[in-house]
Amino acid sequence: MDLTTFSFVTLGLLAIIFSVLLVTRRRPVSSAMMLLLVFVLLAGMYGMLDAHFAAVAQIIVYAGAIMVVFVFVIMLLNLPPEELRYGGVTMGEAFLSFIGIAFVVTLGTKIGKGALSSSISLWDASRAPGARMPFFAESENLKNVAALMFTDYLWAFELVSVLILAATIGAVVIAKKRSDDAQSA
Amino acid sequence: MLSLPEIGIYFSIVLFVIGFLGVMFRKNILFMMLSIELLLNAANLAFVCASKITGTIDGQVVMFMVMAVAACEAAIGLALVISLYRTRATIEADDLKLLRG
Repeated sequence: MDLTTFSFVTLGLLAIIFSVLLVTRRRPVSSAMMLLLVFVLLAGMYGMLDAHFAAVAQIIVYAGAIMVVFVFVIMLLNLPPEELRYGGVTMGEAFLSFIGIAFVVTLGTKIGKGALSSSISLWDASRAPGARMPFFAESENLKNVAALMFTDYLWAFELVSVLILAATIGAVVIAKKRSDDAQSA
Repeated sequence: MLSLPEIGIYFSIVLFVIGFLGVMFRKNILFMMLSIELLLNAANLAFVCASKITGTIDGQVVMFMVMAVAACEAAIGLALVISLYRTRATIEADDLKLLRG
């Protein structure tokens, strides 16, 4: 096992350990900090997969912006530590989650065993939108991403910007203190 | 010997299952939302690995879109949590049974 693989596996195992801690902590702030560590470790994994833009966006958007919103809300609510209740899952829920987990594991194992790279593939890479692009060198990741995002995926990009605008307005409207609430209280 | 992105696919499966169990077993909406962020990150890791396996950049562009959707989800969801806590004084999913038949 060479050094690159070793460090990649180390990052992945640390991410798994911290995500297990994330779902088992009782205090919301501890959970949020574990999630922050998972974000940073995943950014390292993206960097090792030559997805440099993804790594930087992960740090800025997830570890920067989304984490701040979460920590701010946790501070605002000021909840006591939650009591863990593991017995609250019915048989039906357990059965359905078993089916879901089995589906995810089967699908993922199929991809991990090379369904994407073999000739009889789920997805023919030569017919993908990006395959038509005159690619820059693989080290110029940002140029590649930008060239694809603003040509083949331009409509998706514009729709995402509309979605973010709608979400911003929606969040302000939902979290606003309504005047009729104040009168009835 | 597995290549780097194939190992990453397996890591993304494990992270997804952990996040899924978190959504199933935690009853506090705040923890459920943290677990949903973990689910989206596992999907992002799978996208980036698939992008490396196929040698195209599409996976990384889709990962950027998923990131934008995650930001919207966090903003709207946390606004709902604040609004809920203000009107009902609880964010335990089991205590919210106003719509239960």
